[in-house]
Amino acid sequence: MAYLSLSNVTKQFGDVVVVDQFNLDMEKGEFVSFLGPSGCGKTTTLRMVAGFEVPSSGNITLDGKDITDKSPNQRNVGMIFQSYALFPNMTVAQNIGFGLRIRGDSSDKVRERVNEMLGLVHLEAHATKYPYQLSGGQQQRVSLARALAIRPDVLLLDEPLSALDAKIRVSLRAEIRAIQKRLGITAIFVTHDQEEALSISDRIVVMNVGEIEQVGTPFEIYNFPKTQFVANFVGALNTAEAEIADPSSGALSLDGIQLVTAAKTDGYRRGDKVRIAIRPERLGLASILEKANIVDGSIENITFLGSVVRIQVKIGNTNFNMDTFNNPFLGIPEVGDKAKITCSKEAILILGPV
Amino acid sequence: MASSEDRKVAEMSFWARLRKFPFWSWLWLFIGALYFVLPLFATFEFSLSWDPEDPLKAYQRAFEDDKFWETFIFSNVLAVATIIASVILVVPTAYWIRLRLPEARRVVEFITLMPFVVPAIILVFGLIRIYSTPFYVPFTDIRFMQPLTNFKIGTNILIVAGYMVLAMPYMYRSVDTGMRTVDIRTLTEAAQSLGANWYVIITRIILPNIRSALLSGALLTFAIVVGEVTLASFLGVDAFGPYLFLLGQHRAYEPAALSFVSFLLTWLAMGLIQMFTGGQGQAAGAH
Repeated sequence: MAYLSLSNVTKQFGDVVVVDQFNLDMEKGEFVSFLGPSGCGKTTTLRMVAGFEVPSSGNITLDGKDITDKSPNQRNVGMIFQSYALFPNMTVAQNIGFGLRIRGDSSDKVRERVNEMLGLVHLEAHATKYPYQLSGGQQQRVSLARALAIRPDVLLLDEPLSALDAKIRVSLRAEIRAIQKRLGITAIFVTHDQEEALSISDRIVVMNVGEIEQVGTPFEIYNFPKTQFVANFVGALNTAEAEIADPSSGALSLDGIQLVTAAKTDGYRRGDKVRIAIRPERLGLASILEKANIVDGSIENITFLGSVVRIQVKIGNTNFNMDTFNNPFLGIPEVGDKAKITCSKEAILILGPV
Repeated sequence: MASSEDRKVAEMSFWARLRKFPFWSWLWLFIGALYFVLPLFATFEFSLSWDPEDPLKAYQRAFEDDKFWETFIFSNVLAVATIIASVILVVPTAYWIRLRLPEARRVVEFITLMPFVVPAIILVFGLIRIYSTPFYVPFTDIRFMQPLTNFKIGTNILIVAGYMVLAMPYMYRSVDTGMRTVDIRTLTEAAQSLGANWYVIITRIILPNIRSALLSGALLTFAIVVGEVTLASFLGVDAFGPYLFLLGQHRAYEPAALSFVSFLLTWLAMGLIQMFTGGQGQAAGAH
């Protein structure tokens, strides 16, 4: 039986359905990310788990108990907010101990737990400071410590890294993940940043306009997107319209150029139009390895992205982005050059009929 | 040669500094200050002119009067009662409107502005008209309470209620502005997720974070109540306002002395507010 379960959860504001028939089962200790664009319903779903919103229909169970109608202060759910939400009138230690004090724990117990939490987030030296005396990253670590201090059944993180700068974001997300693993706590992480979701999660729920598009491990979500939305939203993607040339062998025709895919095509008929997708990093210059697809292309544009160089190549009438690692000792082609472009047949995904 | 050039540079920088001096700003500030300070100074000077040999005679006489202390202390008690009742009414109202009923904000703001439109004399006649008749259980002849104006505690309750209405624009605006500086919704949700109920949220999270605004509202309420004449006169309450009014009609120097003392007390209160809220404003602002 799942530890946290959302069954047919729907939320409507007036006539607008914000979350529609949301179903998810989570195991204890699992880290699941809700990923999607703004307005897709991910935060509303999280708020329903926290108890800040009541579902219009459906059930939420936690450890076998129905918590759908329980008020937020009766759920034992820890929450971390994008804006930190530290109490400005309290010191770091008082913030962390707040939940324990209102539960009626003795001052010795509170002190002991606060010190433990301060150690966990490496803020022992800041116990007597007020929130305004801390940096954003430190404030969010206090928020994490405060949420964990009450030993919550579930930890909910509502875009906790969005307000931080890039470097702190990367280090703090690793810290959050390490702490979550160490404590074995069940966590839901809401983000619109695909890199964050891919790097931190056991599973990702990709959402769009209130519905689940796909649930899977980061590997599955990235490499085998089930819908065009997931393919487009997670990672960079080249898409193009192709024609089924031979359903039995996976042969395709792209602007008259023959390609072959490992994706299932036996459901299509010869001549059917399909949308294909290729990740930029799955394309390469042909001279290195022999691949199933080697086609002629012309270099249209080159963009330097640091560790990666993005080359725009024209295959047939379609422009594709191709990512290669930046190696200053290997020459990269110049704009206008002709080149042989290659990709494996597994790299060509079929997103569905056009 | 070099020294004359230095002098030239120094002269230029003097004129440059003079050009940058905000002359008009200082002039308006000076005129504004005169407008406030001159009458106060005149009052003070007049209060000292009763007896040239004993300049503080007016103050001595005013403080010697038992009625002064009696009414002053009673008005202070009324002010404290009004402040407590206003906080109990206004803080949860403003909080709930910010949290759950933002659409009701305009209506409530309109209601809180009514005391500016409806004069105190209308309010007090309305209060007397309604509460000078006995209360009956609806649709029966059973009387369950005598008129509030018939007994002292009842009248005191009425006057505090009246003062709450008069002070509402100031108290509500102060509290609402205070709540605007903190993220009420997120702090509430954070406290709820940690297990706090509404009482804990209001007393331990909301009130401490709007302390500065509350004190401002309390000071304004205090100033209104201590000097108020209309409600106290018509309800027959021996408060400081009517005492000062009567004194002004019959004496010359003592009212001037008491007015000056009132100013000093107000400034003292403002100073205390600054002292007690100096750090808190910074903390809330930083958030």
